[in-house]
Amino acid sequence: MTPFAHPAVPSAVAESLRATWDHLARPGASWSGAERVAIAAAAREARGGETGDTDLPAAAREAAELLGARPGSARREWVERITADLGDPRFVELVAIVSRLVAVDTFVEALSVEHEPLPGPADGDPTGEIDHRARRGAAWVPMVGGASITQSLSLVPSENAELERFHGPMYMTFAEMEDPGFRRGLHRPQMELVAARTSAFNECFY
Amino acid sequence: MVSHVGMLSWSAEQTNTPVDLRAVTDPAVDPLMPGGAVLLAFTDAVLTGAAIPAAAAAVIDRLGGDAPAAAAGVIANFQMMNRVADGTGMPLGKGSRLRQAEVIAALGLDRFDHQDER
Repeated sequence: MTPFAHPAVPSAVAESLRATWDHLARPGASWSGAERVAIAAAAREARGGETGDTDLPAAAREAAELLGARPGSARREWVERITADLGDPRFVELVAIVSRLVAVDTFVEALSVEHEPLPGPADGDPTGEIDHRARRGAAWVPMVGGASITQSLSLVPSENAELERFHGPMYMTFAEMEDPGFRRGLHRPQMELVAARTSAFNECFY
Repeated sequence: MVSHVGMLSWSAEQTNTPVDLRAVTDPAVDPLMPGGAVLLAFTDAVLTGAAIPAAAAAVIDRLGGDAPAAAAGVIANFQMMNRVADGTGMPLGKGSRLRQAEVIAALGLDRFDHQDER
C-alpha cells in the first residue's frame, strides 16, 4: 500500500494528492520533469526528509531549501537575486513545486503516515507556457491583473490552476470561502483558527 | 496571517462562535472556541513534529474521527499558501490593512511584515 492509499487518508484527498504527484512529474513551463522532481527532493531534504537527487542550479537549490524550510525568511532582495539568476518564470514555477511538496508531506505527517516516494519524472521538454500579460506590480514577481493571492502564480498559468485545484479538497474552493458556515470535518471558524495558527508558525504576515 | 485572523473573526461573528483572537499567537490564551484548544495543540504538534499521535487522539476525542484529517488538510493548505505568499512577496492590500488595523496592533502582527525589508 502506498502512503496515499493509507486508510487514514480520505479518498477525495488521496485522489487530489495523486493528481498533484502526476502534475509534479510532468514537464512544466520552464523546468523538465526531472528538474521538477529534483526541486521537490531538495525541499523535502531541507525539511529533514529523505535525501534525493538534487542536481540543480545553485540558485534553484538555495530557493528550494529556503522556501521549503524557512519561508518566513524570504525577503525582496533575496528574491531579486534568485530571479536575476533563474528568471521570473522558473522561480515562480519553483515556488509552486516547493509549496505543494511541503503541503503534501505535511498532510501525511499529520496523519502519521510515511512520505509518498517522489514520482518518477515524465519525459518531454518544458512547455514554455507563460502568460505574457503578467506585469510586476506591488508583489515581487509579475502577475496578471495586479497583486492578488489568487493570481500569485499567474505568470505560469498551469501552476496557478494547480494551486486552485489543490486548494479545494484540502481546505475549500475559492467560491466556498464566501460561506462563513462552511463545514467539512470542522466548522469554518475552527478551520480558520487552524489556518491562522499555521500562518503564525510560518511567520507569514499576509 | 492577517487575512486568516480576519476570516476567523468574520466567520466566528457570523456563526455566533466565541473566540479570543489572541490565541492565534499566544499559546497561553484559551481560544474559547469549542474544540479550539485541541486543534491548536494538534496544529503545533504537526508543525513541530512532536507528539502528533497524542494530539490527534485528543482531537478525535473532542471533535470526532473526521476532524484530524480535516485539520491536516487546512494545515497542509496553508503550508502551501504561506510559501506562495512569502515567495512571491504578496502584499497585504491597503483595505485589508485598514480593516484589520486594530487586530494587527493588538496581536503585534506588524513584526511579521517583511514586505519592504531588503
